[in-house]
Amino acid sequence: MTGTVGGIMSKLGQVVEAIEKYNKFVLDQVKRARSDEQFGRELLGRWNDTKAKIPITRTPTGVPLPRLALPEIDEPGEIARYLFGEGLPGEFPFLNGAYREMYLEPIREVESFEKNGETVAARMAPVKSSNARPPLPQAEEPTRLFSGLMLAEDTNERFHYLTQHQRTHRLSTAFDGPTLYGIDSDADGVFGKIGEGGVAIDTVEDMMRLYDGFDLGSPNFSASMTISGPAPIIMAMYIAAAKRRFGPKVVPKLRGTVQADIFKEVQAQNETIFPIEASLRFLTDMVEFTTREMRRWYPISISGYHIGEAGSTPVQQAAYTLSNGFAYAEMFAARGIPVDQFGPRLSFFLDCGLDAEYIALARVSRRIWAIGMRDVFGAGPRAQLFKLHTQTSGRSLIAAEFKNNLTRTAAELVLAYMNATNSCHSNSADEPFTTPSEEWIRLAAHGQAILLEESGIFKHTMNMLSGSPGMKAVERAVEAAILDEFREIARLGGVLAAVEDRYQRSQIQSAAHRYEQQIYNGTRPIIGLNRYRDDEDDAPEVKLVRTPRQKQQLQVDRLAKFKKKNAEKAKRALDRLADVVERGANCFTVLLEAAEVCSLGQITGRLQEVVGRFRPMV
Amino acid sequence: MPSPIRILTAVPICDGHDSAINTINLEFIRHGIEVVYLGYHRSVTDIVRAAIQEDVRAVGISSYNGGHIEFFSEVTGLLQKRGASDIKVFGGGGGTITQQDAAAMKRKGVDNIFFAGTSLAEMTDYVRTQYGKPRNKRPRPRSPEQELAHKLSEIEDAYASVSRKRPTASAQRSRSNKTVRHSSVAIRHSSRAERARVMGFTGPGGAGKTTLIDELVLRFLNQNSRGRIAILSHDPSVVGEGALLGDRATMINSQNDRVFMRSMATRGQAGGLSPATQDCLALLARSGFDYVIIETVGTGQEAMPFQKNGVVDQTVLVMNPDYGSRLQLQKIVMLDLADIVVVNKSDLQRARTAHTEIEQRLEQNGRDQRLIDTVAKRHRDAGVDQLFKLISTGR
Repeated sequence: MTGTVGGIMSKLGQVVEAIEKYNKFVLDQVKRARSDEQFGRELLGRWNDTKAKIPITRTPTGVPLPRLALPEIDEPGEIARYLFGEGLPGEFPFLNGAYREMYLEPIREVESFEKNGETVAARMAPVKSSNARPPLPQAEEPTRLFSGLMLAEDTNERFHYLTQHQRTHRLSTAFDGPTLYGIDSDADGVFGKIGEGGVAIDTVEDMMRLYDGFDLGSPNFSASMTISGPAPIIMAMYIAAAKRRFGPKVVPKLRGTVQADIFKEVQAQNETIFPIEASLRFLTDMVEFTTREMRRWYPISISGYHIGEAGSTPVQQAAYTLSNGFAYAEMFAARGIPVDQFGPRLSFFLDCGLDAEYIALARVSRRIWAIGMRDVFGAGPRAQLFKLHTQTSGRSLIAAEFKNNLTRTAAELVLAYMNATNSCHSNSADEPFTTPSEEWIRLAAHGQAILLEESGIFKHTMNMLSGSPGMKAVERAVEAAILDEFREIARLGGVLAAVEDRYQRSQIQSAAHRYEQQIYNGTRPIIGLNRYRDDEDDAPEVKLVRTPRQKQQLQVDRLAKFKKKNAEKAKRALDRLADVVERGANCFTVLLEAAEVCSLGQITGRLQEVVGRFRPMV
Repeated sequence: MPSPIRILTAVPICDGHDSAINTINLEFIRHGIEVVYLGYHRSVTDIVRAAIQEDVRAVGISSYNGGHIEFFSEVTGLLQKRGASDIKVFGGGGGTITQQDAAAMKRKGVDNIFFAGTSLAEMTDYVRTQYGKPRNKRPRPRSPEQELAHKLSEIEDAYASVSRKRPTASAQRSRSNKTVRHSSVAIRHSSRAERARVMGFTGPGGAGKTTLIDELVLRFLNQNSRGRIAILSHDPSVVGEGALLGDRATMINSQNDRVFMRSMATRGQAGGLSPATQDCLALLARSGFDYVIIETVGTGQEAMPFQKNGVVDQTVLVMNPDYGSRLQLQKIVMLDLADIVVVNKSDLQRARTAHTEIEQRLEQNGRDQRLIDTVAKRHRDAGVDQLFKLISTGR
């Protein structure tokens, strides 16, 4: 039974209290460590023990480095502050990382272990290494490249190109405008938009073409679909396509994520097709299904990226993303889904730009999420993790002297890795003009490889760049500012009430306006635009990726054929769908049936008849 | 003095990038331009229909999601097809529209494309110089709708030409009562049978008038498969004489071929309407619509926008439950005059108190006034159904 979603989403105040309480707890532990001798000794013992277990490996140039760098402290109070306030990587409250080793290359040979500043001989047997090829890390590559262009078969080709040298196939899919708005390629006035800015998907058959040649049930495959308004429908099409290709047994094996973040659409990105409450209900229906039937799927990607791109400040981005996340958690829990089932299936997506806050934005977010989930929602360790995908800032890239964008993206990547993001997308320098072309995509991808694989910044030592006084100062300021935002949203009655009140939207728009003003008046330097401008710089010569008319026509023709073939079945499926939605039951199973025979636009249209359309907020 | 320049701005279908256009709209109105803002994710048909009904000088389109060559060409093509090629098209899309694209778009009849880095001042200057000149002789209207739109412009222009300087509100009201008169004088006396039923909606800003009207329109369209409805919507002119006419942006059901909508700026007149309103309304009332809905700007306590014995048949006051203390109700003049009082947003905590207090206030009047609670933002709201029934059947 689906309850209404109104009247809930008011736990944000409790989250604020939980963070304050936890911060006080940390201070208490610091004091206790200094006054309670036994407690102090215990902490010191634990600290020394931890340090003793840190393996040391040699860099290719022969320098021995610990796999984990810790602050040079030996006073129990400071040790308490570190262990409770930050946590070791992979330990609560996860300031330094969700996992212990993140991007470290696998241990080939342990040199020694660190102990009290001295080193002792290695006790661990060296791992055999082959001369031919260095062993690859067991974890997946953090690189996840966003792609989507023209028709399904074109994007499919791009996917194969992008993953040709990768062990793991992590595909990230961009959809074209009509798909994002849940309408068909034959709708009024969308012809020119077919396949622009992303791939055109109208039917389950398109979905089959899109991932053709990839083994959807393989543990090395995962699909990410960046779509929110019609997310449950697209998700249903993905499942339907997988079943057609691999049979029904593939469903529990499917790995990947669909964005499905309605709040940020209303707050920032404007791709909302149903009224908010109806959208949230369809989302919860889907989450209920996937947490039960698809244990390896991430049914929502709580996204600050678009909030950031719409012009928010970094603090607003983190605050709205986290509060949206807590609101979803509250909603799913209210539906009766156990927090330890849905919690580990939530993931986050943040923007990383060049402002100072980005030095620690994701670190602070990870900590707030963990404390809130543990102390307010009673989540176990796996449901406390803020699993993060980061994308470098598209807004920071500009058309003038566009090759400078390579440097911008590189700096943002360093910041993203300093925040120990779990995966990352680096933007192509040609993005201000066009869907990225292969040449610039390759450079963007290699930017990540250069930082992670070629440079020694991230592969030898965890915490290589963490914990500087400046970073600590940013952490304190950012956390305080995020909590202030939480308090305001709580005062307005929670996330949903604040959204309906346009609170986040207005804040974002005003920040965006300020940003533009700063560029105009020069207080925000943009090299090549308002500083060191080269007036000779002509329009850049980039190869534009545009969808040819014949392809757009092909898509329309294929859709017509599909609709004709399934006309009878579609009608029945839509009637059943409307009936279930009307009754208020979970509609995802009937949506799965409808996705077999109906187009995206047919389903959207029918649902809108029942629940209404989204009324834009201006 | 000529009328302010009227333009329409919009973001194309499947495109939600509205941050640039929001900034540009504000800059335009600050420079004396009246901007009818249609919002984002708008189809070619919606844009062209709105441009013709509003009879704007130009359409500005802000496109960031690709497909701009087709989209802009379809707009110019459809305008031409509908006999409205005197409505010009311009636009921009940051870095997404290249020089080559712009050249192709110009060949398809687009006036101008602004590239990334164009200053707001440049855009404003362009609009003012290009679209500020008096109109040439207008092409003969191709449809009754277009003819109606042209006539409404003539009425507005006639009023603009007599207001050489901004008079006080009362002086203006008295003048508007005796000066500019069109054929509409005769209309008042036309038989009621041919006349549309005219509904006047007023109330404080933010009470949800626009949403409520849009929901009523949806019900009307569903119930009368051939019925036609007109909406005359008002927004205030700001200092500097521009205006943001933004009601269309949230009216998702009223973008329909059976709905004729016209947005008017108050052009310096206080009280919630424009100097030209009465004449425009009279013209609409005899133009073959079943209903004409007139929406005032957000009004204050003393407002009584609809003339006694005027063309408005029934008045609706839309209130927000948050009107302040009970004493405030005594000061709201429209509570004495309105035929129907609606407490919208009746899902708010205060709604019940509001209902009781307003009910008591209406009882003092001893008239047969109706009080209805609605939540207009809710799909298929029962209160809106009740209001629709009351309006359409009188029960």
